Amino acid sequence: MDQNAVVYDLKPWVRQYGQAIPKELPPPRYSNLAQFLRESEARYAKQTAFTTCMPNGMHGSLTYEQVARYSDAFAVYLRECIGLAAGARVALQTPNCLAFPVAAFGILKAGCVLVNTNPLYTPSEMEHQLADSGAEALVIVDMFANKLEGILSATRLRKVIVCQVPQFFPAVPRAVIRSVMKVWNRALPSIAIEHIKFAEALAEGERAARNNSVDIASYAEDARVDTLAALQYTGGTTGVSKGAMLTHGNLLSNIDQALAMGSSHIEPGKEVVLTALPLYHIFAFTFNLLCFYAVGARNVLAPSPRPIGNLQRAFENYPITWVSGVNTLFNALLNEEWFAAFPPKHLKAAVAGGAALQHAVAQRWERVTKTRIAEGYGLTEASPAISFNPLSGTQKPDSIGIPVPGTDVRLVDTEGQPVPLGAAGELVVRGPQVMAGFWNRPEETARAIRDGWLHTGDVAVMDADGYFRIVDRMKDMVLVSGFNVYPNEIEDVIARMDEVLEVGVIGVPDAKSGEAVRAYVVPLADGLTEEAVRAHCRKHLTDYKVPKTIEIRRELPKTPIGKILRRELRAEYARGQEPR
Amino acid sequence: MLTELETRLLGILMMIIMLGMGASLTFKDFRIAFRKPQGILVGLLCQYGIMPALGFLLAVALGLPPAVAVGLLLMGCMPGGTTSNIFTYFSKGTLALSIMMTVCSTLVAVLMVPLLLSFYGGLLDVSSEYVIPARNVAQVLVVLLVPTVIGIALRKWNPNIGATIELIGALLGVFVIVFLIGSWVPRNWQLLLTTSGNVYFASIGLGLAGMALGYMISRGLKQDTRRARTIALETGIQNGPLAVLIVTLTFTGTMQQQVLLIPILYSLFIVLTSSAITVWFRRITTREELARDSAKVPTTPVAAPA
Repeated sequence: MDQNAVVYDLKPWVRQYGQAIPKELPPPRYSNLAQFLRESEARYAKQTAFTTCMPNGMHGSLTYEQVARYSDAFAVYLRECIGLAAGARVALQTPNCLAFPVAAFGILKAGCVLVNTNPLYTPSEMEHQLADSGAEALVIVDMFANKLEGILSATRLRKVIVCQVPQFFPAVPRAVIRSVMKVWNRALPSIAIEHIKFAEALAEGERAARNNSVDIASYAEDARVDTLAALQYTGGTTGVSKGAMLTHGNLLSNIDQALAMGSSHIEPGKEVVLTALPLYHIFAFTFNLLCFYAVGARNVLAPSPRPIGNLQRAFENYPITWVSGVNTLFNALLNEEWFAAFPPKHLKAAVAGGAALQHAVAQRWERVTKTRIAEGYGLTEASPAISFNPLSGTQKPDSIGIPVPGTDVRLVDTEGQPVPLGAAGELVVRGPQVMAGFWNRPEETARAIRDGWLHTGDVAVMDADGYFRIVDRMKDMVLVSGFNVYPNEIEDVIARMDEVLEVGVIGVPDAKSGEAVRAYVVPLADGLTEEAVRAHCRKHLTDYKVPKTIEIRRELPKTPIGKILRRELRAEYARGQEPR
Repeated sequence: MLTELETRLLGILMMIIMLGMGASLTFKDFRIAFRKPQGILVGLLCQYGIMPALGFLLAVALGLPPAVAVGLLLMGCMPGGTTSNIFTYFSKGTLALSIMMTVCSTLVAVLMVPLLLSFYGGLLDVSSEYVIPARNVAQVLVVLLVPTVIGIALRKWNPNIGATIELIGALLGVFVIVFLIGSWVPRNWQLLLTTSGNVYFASIGLGLAGMALGYMISRGLKQDTRRARTIALETGIQNGPLAVLIVTLTFTGTMQQQVLLIPILYSLFIVLTSSAITVWFRRITTREELARDSAKVPTTPVAAPA
C-alpha cells in the first residue's frame, strides 16, 4: 500500500511547475477576506473595478474606491440597521450585475456568511436553501423577487433587499433598461412582500455610519482562516442540495493557488476579465470575482451569455485580456462570425472548467485567438480549484492538468487504498482549499471527508508526469454483467455522429445483466433513428457497452452552467418505472 | 400623396432613424460585411437583374394598360429604399450589408435606371424620356450615410448614448411605418376601391416575388441564411418615393395619374408585406441564434481570419 501511496505523495507534477509556479504555497497573507478586499481597494482605488455590459452596450461602472464605499455602507446596514450578528447568514440571489460584488463584499466585511443562491431557482428550491442555511437577510434581484411570496414564512428572513440589474448605472440608461425590461420583456413583476431597495439600504447604512461613529473594520476583526465565510450549495451525490462550508482560509488559499497557476499571464492593475458565467457559481465566484479583484483587474460582467450574441458588445467595447468559460460557451463563441473573424486582440488566456473541455474546441480556440485555454478541475467543496493545465509548459489534451500548489492528490480504490500508477481510482484531495464540511450535515461530511481526504467521487488516472485525466463520475459507472462501463466513453462515441447535438448516458436496473446502458440523444435535426445510433455504437464499441435502450428527445436536463444532469435522467427513468 | 410639410418631416425622421441604425453598428460590422463582398454583388444582381425583369414580366402577363405598365416598370427599376434598413434592423438581419446595398444600388441608379428603362420600355413599346433627378439621388445618399456615420461614431464614443439613440431610432422606425400605413389608407380610399385586381396583383406581387427570388438566388450563390434574408428584404423593398418623384418630373395630367397608380399602391403594400415578413424573419433569426449557441464545433477547419 505505502508503495502505491508514494507514487502520489512524491508529487510528480511539481516538476511541471517550471519557473512561473511556486513549488510551495505559503499560508494566506490575510487572516480574513475583509482584509484582503480592503488591501485591493486601497491599492487600486481610482481604477475601474467592475463594469456591467448589457447586450445593447449600455454600461455602468464602479471604481475600487466606490466598491469600498458602497460595500462598507452595506456592511453597516446589515450590522447596525438590521442588527445582524457576526456569522449570520445573508443570501445573495442575482445574475451578474454591479450589485453582486457590492453586496457580497458588504456581507463579508460585516463578518456575516455569504450564501450564494441561483436566481433561476424555483420557489421550492429557494425555500430549501434559505431555510437550510438559516439566512436572516436576502439580497434578491427585482426580476425574481415575486417568487418569495409563498415561501417567506418557511424561512428565517428578517429583511429582503431588492436590487436591479442596471444598479449603479447612470440615470438615463438605467431608466431605458428598466422600461424595456418592464414593457417589452415583462421581466419586472410587482413585488407584494415587504422589502427595501438596495440603494435605500446603502443610504441608510451611510447615514448610520455617520451618526453612530461605527468602526466598520471591527465587524470582521474576529474572522480567522478557519472562520466560515460562505455557504456554497451543491447538489452533490444525493441530489439534496447541501451547503459546502467554505472558510476565509479556504477561499484565500484558493485565490493564491489559482493565481500561482496564472501569474505568468497576469499583470497586476492591467487586466480586463470578462465574466460571462454566473458569479453565484463557485467557479466564477473564486476565479473571476476574487482572483481578479486581488490583481486590480477591471471585471466586465455580462448579465446573461445566452444567446451568445449578448457578449458581442463586451468584446467590442473593452480590451478583454482574460475570459473564463465552460465548453459550451467557448464553442458558441467560436461559432459566431463576429468572434471568429475578429478575435479579441488583447486576449492573453482563457480558463475552462465546469465540464470537460472538448479537444476540438480547445484546438479551434487556440487557432482562432492564438491563446490557450487552460482546462481546470474543481469542486464546490474545494473552493473550487484542484488542478489546472499550466499556461506555459506542457498542456495535455483531455486532461485536467496538474494539482495546484499546496494540494495533495491521490487515486484510491473503494477501500481507500492508493491504486498503482496508471490505474483508475477515485480522486481524493487534501489541501487548504478543502471545505470545513457540509452545513448541519455531519453524516454527509463524514462520508465526503475521510481521514482528512475529500472524496470527489470522480474516477481518474494519473500519468508519470503527474497529469490527471477524469474517466468518469464514480456513481455514474454502469455495471453490466460485471463489466465496468463509463458513460463518458459511450457519450463521446455517440456525440461523434454528425446528426447528434448532445447525449446523456446512464445505467438503469436490468433483470438480466444487473444494470444496462441507456442513452438519451438530442438530434441536430429531425430524422435521427434509434437504429442509426445503435448501428454507430456497434461499430465503435464492444457489445456490452452498446446502449440497450436509446431515447431520442428534444433536450436534456442541465445545470446552470450547462453540465448534463445524469442524476435527473436517472430520477426521470425511475419515475417512469413506478407502477401507476 | 403626402404634403410638402409631411415629406420634410418624414425626411427628418428618416435621418434620426438612420442615426439610430448607425448607433447599432460598428465599423467592424462593415468590415464583416466586406469580408464577403460577393454579398453586395449578389444584392446588386438581385436589385437590377430580378426586379426590372419581374416588373416587365408582370406587365406583359397581366396585360396592363401602357401607362400603368410604365409605372410598374419604373417601380421595378428603382434602387433599394431606406425603409429596407429599418426592416432589416427589426428582422435582426445583417444591417451593415443592407446599408451597403442601399448605398451601392443608389449610386448605380444614376446609370442603371435610364438604361434599364429604355431597354424594357423599348420591349413594351412605351419608351419615354425620363428625368432622373440626380440631386434627389444624392439626397438619398446623404440622408442615409451622414447620420449612419454619426451614429457609429456616437456609439463608439459613448455606448450608453449610442444604445439610447438606437432605441429612439427603433421607436421612430415603428412610428414611421405605422404613420405611412395610417395616413395612406384614408387618403387613397377611393383609389383602393376603383383599382382592378390585376393592378393589385402587380403591386403586391412585385415586392413579394422580389423577396422570394432574392432569397433563392442568394442562397443559390452560397450566401448564409441571415445574409440571404437581408438581400431578400433589400431586393423586394424599392425606393417608392423616388419613383413617385421621377413620375411627377416626367409626366403630366391624367397620364401622370395613371403612371403613379402602381408606385403609390406598391408603397403601401410593401410596408404591410415587409412588416409581416420581418416578424417572420426575426423569429427565424432568434431560433438560429439559439441553435448556433448549442451547436457542435464544425469538423471542417475555420476560414483564416481576414
